Amino acid sequence: MSDRAHIPQEDLALYAMHSLSAEESAEVRAHVDDCAECSAELAELLSDLALVAMSVEQHPVPAGARERLMEKVAADAAAEGRKPATVTSISDVPPPRRVYSSIQWAAVAAMIVFSFALLLKNGSLNQELHKQKLLAEHQAAESARAQQVLDVLTAKASQHVLLTSGKARPEPTGRAVYLASSGSLIFQANNLDPLPQGKTYELWVIPADGKAPIPAGLFRPNAVGSASVILPPLPTGVPAKAFGVTVERAQGSDTPTAPILLAGAPAPGE
Amino acid sequence: MLLQRVSANDQGAMAEFFDRYGGLVYSVALRVLKDPGQAEDLMQEIFFQVWKKPEAFVQGRGSLGAWLAVVTRNRAVDVLRRRKPDDNVDDFVLASKTNLASEVEQNRMMEKVRQVLNGLPAEQQKSVEMAFFEGLTHAEIAAQTGDPLGTVKTRIRTALMSVRKAVQA
Repeated sequence: MSDRAHIPQEDLALYAMHSLSAEESAEVRAHVDDCAECSAELAELLSDLALVAMSVEQHPVPAGARERLMEKVAADAAAEGRKPATVTSISDVPPPRRVYSSIQWAAVAAMIVFSFALLLKNGSLNQELHKQKLLAEHQAAESARAQQVLDVLTAKASQHVLLTSGKARPEPTGRAVYLASSGSLIFQANNLDPLPQGKTYELWVIPADGKAPIPAGLFRPNAVGSASVILPPLPTGVPAKAFGVTVERAQGSDTPTAPILLAGAPAPGE
Repeated sequence: MLLQRVSANDQGAMAEFFDRYGGLVYSVALRVLKDPGQAEDLMQEIFFQVWKKPEAFVQGRGSLGAWLAVVTRNRAVDVLRRRKPDDNVDDFVLASKTNLASEVEQNRMMEKVRQVLNGLPAEQQKSVEMAFFEGLTHAEIAAQTGDPLGTVKTRIRTALMSVRKAVQA
């Protein structure tokens, strides 16, 4: 790819797909900007790619997506206080008149224009400040609520009570709440048996695609058999077929050791 | 034009715009990201940016649907590859062949393209899949498949030329 020769079609295709390195892309861009022939071929290739993209299997948008967008649009319009822009035709603008005025008049006029511009700028900044303040208040409230949820789940003083119908000693249970798209997991267990020294419970995510179980955190129960694992580091976008808990050595393990003490799968359709 | 009404802050026009192109944008995002949640997030982001900056699409640079399809693919690949979005992602020109007069004409052309893509030799299909829908660079494709760089490039170009030939026929 030199500046003199045209860019080969193969490289233009890769450029159109952002499949070249940064340096190669910069070189192609510099050439295409000045070369009508390569620019036209790039447009053709982008159109070929557009057709490939448009030919994908069509899916309906998720339920409520339109409403979510329009709520955001309405909120933005309200926050911006946007009004339809008025358009002035060039032909409506009166031709400039040649006026002879003194330096003082020019200075006064300049000051008026400058003051007016400052006034407009000030109004715009106030509006933006108000918008940012509302946003910050909203985010602070959300953050405080999220923190409160975490505090309740993780505080040592929190009472973990499992309600059952009988009087028999309740069995060990665990409850996992998992959001695959962000790799977020909250797990809480009750009535776990105490562990000997040098042992730990380990939580596992069993991927739906049949790959190896992913370790999702080590935990030991408190005096009443409760424990929780909050937001362990997990890869994103891994749907789970099931979750399991095993007993492992204190430093944890890369693969689960039988038996699996607790196991559960998401309900069909979840 | 619909986008001109969006430029004038017409929320009804924005709803109409979404009704017309929402399915396309969501489908392209889902094809690349393979995750409905991420695909909707990206779709919302793209439509909101159209609302904020409708002038990003320049008339005379091809059809709006085709432009949205390419922008969505590029953004989705950025998400997939965890790349910083390219500032120039929406600044490109398309050839006039994407200006299709009617929905019937568009459906017919898309069917042709699907047939061509499904009929490509397996190695060409794989190269297009990896480059276009997975966003891999030609060097990464060559490393993964063990094929020479030149072969990867040729396969991608040949596949695209097959698409072009089919729609010109």
